[in-house]
Amino acid sequence: MQYIKVEDLAFHYEDEPVLENICFEVNSGDFAMLTGENGAAKTTLLRNILGLLKPTKGSVMLSKKNRENKKLVVGYIPQQVASFNAGFPSTVLELVRSGRYPRGKWFKKLDEDDEKHVEKALESVGMWEMRHKKIGELSGGQKQRISIARVFAMDPDLFILDEPTTGMDVASREEFYKLLKHASDYHGKGILMVTHDHEEIRHYANKHIELVRKEGSPWRCFSMDSCKERSKHPSSFH
Amino acid sequence: MFLYGFMQRAFQASVLISLIAPMLGLFLILRRQSLMADTLSHVSLAGVALGLLLGYDPTWMNILVVVVVAGILEYLRKVYRTYSEISIAILMSGGMAVALVLMGLNDSGATVSIQQFLFGSIVTISVQQVWMLLVLTLLIIILYSVFRKAMYTLTFDEETAYTAGLPIQFMSVMFNILTGVTIALIMPIVGALLVSAILILPAAISIRLSKSFNGVIFIGIVVALFGMIMGLVGSYYLGTPPGATITLIYIAVFSVIAVFK
Repeated sequence: MQYIKVEDLAFHYEDEPVLENICFEVNSGDFAMLTGENGAAKTTLLRNILGLLKPTKGSVMLSKKNRENKKLVVGYIPQQVASFNAGFPSTVLELVRSGRYPRGKWFKKLDEDDEKHVEKALESVGMWEMRHKKIGELSGGQKQRISIARVFAMDPDLFILDEPTTGMDVASREEFYKLLKHASDYHGKGILMVTHDHEEIRHYANKHIELVRKEGSPWRCFSMDSCKERSKHPSSFH
Repeated sequence: MFLYGFMQRAFQASVLISLIAPMLGLFLILRRQSLMADTLSHVSLAGVALGLLLGYDPTWMNILVVVVVAGILEYLRKVYRTYSEISIAILMSGGMAVALVLMGLNDSGATVSIQQFLFGSIVTISVQQVWMLLVLTLLIIILYSVFRKAMYTLTFDEETAYTAGLPIQFMSVMFNILTGVTIALIMPIVGALLVSAILILPAAISIRLSKSFNGVIFIGIVVALFGMIMGLVGSYYLGTPPGATITLIYIAVFSVIAVFK
């Protein structure tokens, strides 16, 4: 099932084009990595997809429904440095629990199943023992882990991740990519991840969207070099 | 002291303000809108001055003006996203300027009433004001209980709140309006000059004392009750202005905690 469809997208900051001719899809079961040099407007592209910015030209379709015909739940991890509100008075557990709220729990109490998701998410990033710590007391890498745990606890249909592994060591990154790969292969989750570690991820991702600087443009404008598809794990596409 | 009706009403109002101040104050701090309370209290003065000039009930005119400005504040916050304090500067000075001009146009001796709104008078609080505060307090407690999770998500990060499907624009405007109405109602009691201290300081103190979000609200209520009641008792025996006495107690508590935490 198609979760994201970007068609001939262009985005300009005032009159300056930064993105042009962007076309790709992310479907249920896809693990797509989005790469490009620093300043290649990768985050801008994600923000267009999420509806935080409006494309200047072209269109973005973000599915309303998941493959079970229920409301599509999107788990978004923004770039850590820009977004993490370290002064926020919250424990790790409170923050990760808040990942369950979009799962129909805005006005309901979290139940046993929700608590299990939260515990599993915290354990998967090795932060269960730190659950009673104040989030402002964590290191950069730990903050990144709990941002990931919050999204894992949400159990979204579509992951949109902006350099989620910044500050994590190699072993933790590998573990994280394996979890994502499992989620896409065995649970049909869609994943779109901005990364600089494409060498590490290429073994896991089945789609590579690469933004490259447009030749001949007087602006620092990026377009798609290619959208390469690799064969998927046979267990996907249920 | 409790034999006097005015002191009973002052204590009743203090308890009610102590319950709502940390809830609003915490969200104001986390949304980096601490000065919004100050802005709206200055705008409130314009509302009061307009009410007095036109011969309408200043409290209701005040609520109307503050609600309109709370909406404008959200618009300006969006326009000047990177420099959101610009909206504060524009509206705070604008509110005060309008209040002064309207007072100048009013030659019916309304200056005395304006003075009362400027400095407040918790000991002259009426039964009607206590009832209005009670209704407001119940409304805020209910709204907090229902929307706590959504507000937690919104204040942590607006962009993830948006992607989680929350109507962030609507919630922001509603929060500003609720803050505006609260300020309009408590301003005549504690005074325009001290309204933001009464709202912000309990939450600012409790943020340093609790690890958890709910803990901040709970401790904030305890701190607010302590500050309000001690301030009221202090002002009764020392003959000092209640709003200023309460604020000084908060600042003393804040200083002690800043030293030890």
